[in-house]
Amino acid sequence: MKTNNVINTTLGISPNDALYELRAFRPNFVDGAEVCRAAVLHPDDNLGLTSDVRYAVARRAAGTGSNPDFLASYPAPSTAELRDFAAGGDPQDRKLAALARHTDLIAKTPSDASKTHLQDLLDVGFSVPQIVALSELLAQVCYEMRIVHGLSLLKDTDHA
Amino acid sequence: MRDDIPQIKIKPLKWTPHLPPVEIEDATERQLAAMQVTPSAKKVSPYVRTLVHDPDSYVARTELFNAIMYVEGGLPRPDRELGALGASLVNGCQYCANVHARQHAKLAGPFATSALYTGRRDALCERDAAIMDFAEALTATPPRADQSHIKALRKAGMDEVEIQDLIHSIAIFGWANRLMHPLGHSS
Repeated sequence: MKTNNVINTTLGISPNDALYELRAFRPNFVDGAEVCRAAVLHPDDNLGLTSDVRYAVARRAAGTGSNPDFLASYPAPSTAELRDFAAGGDPQDRKLAALARHTDLIAKTPSDASKTHLQDLLDVGFSVPQIVALSELLAQVCYEMRIVHGLSLLKDTDHA
Repeated sequence: MRDDIPQIKIKPLKWTPHLPPVEIEDATERQLAAMQVTPSAKKVSPYVRTLVHDPDSYVARTELFNAIMYVEGGLPRPDRELGALGASLVNGCQYCANVHARQHAKLAGPFATSALYTGRRDALCERDAAIMDFAEALTATPPRADQSHIKALRKAGMDEVEIQDLIHSIAIFGWANRLMHPLGHSS
């Protein structure tokens, strides 16, 4: 296990902390989370979805977690348009607007998702592999949001 | 109280993707490697063939998922399955809920899942109730789990390692549910 990683940094824990030791007991969880984050943000084959678009989607989804430290763990995109997307804005561009709606749906109310929502993405020009990659990206953010939230509850009660 | 719960036998569901899955004959080398397709093992589920459109995330997530659900020691398997079930019910993923309810029933007997599926949540034992409450609160957006949930898990006998395992088994279904439910339907 690496001495530091994104989740430890977000939680503000270091090798002398009880929660750090607790995490180290499950090295496959710790390293696996890092590998997954890299796979959705910087995959070997990006399938035509740039890192900037991936950052924008990740940050928009992360924003639903109401945790500024967690939000800050995803890089900000480099363009004004994507930064506005990341911050929850309503994009003018038709393709980005569809992506924004899908991001909000999957992050907030996944139970409402249906075949129609995938058709909306296909209609504005996303390919099937891109839709799968976006699904994994969104779901990864939602996973890590809950890891950080859950573990932070154990941090607050260290040695309790 | 425990005697008046009708025993439910949960039938398996079949998952069908909304999007066209990768056909084995069209798969790239990386997709074949990700699916671990060999000349003697060519049968791959529609779920795997759908997600392998993105082989990088498929491999990374599958390894993490298996570590969380099957790692040795720590939280007993039925508790991990119950965490998975709780998350899946909140996220509306009928397929995952079905698979993990059946796993729980197989490992721990049909009482808890029968209680849940007949609206008798009140009949759950203290530990199962604490797991379900925590799973629901952690699965909410934004997550609303708090110290009262941790306290209830400890009171039900869970140590820190077990609670950490439970957090992971609930959270990984915040991931899996967001694939299975939006990308396909079950029947």
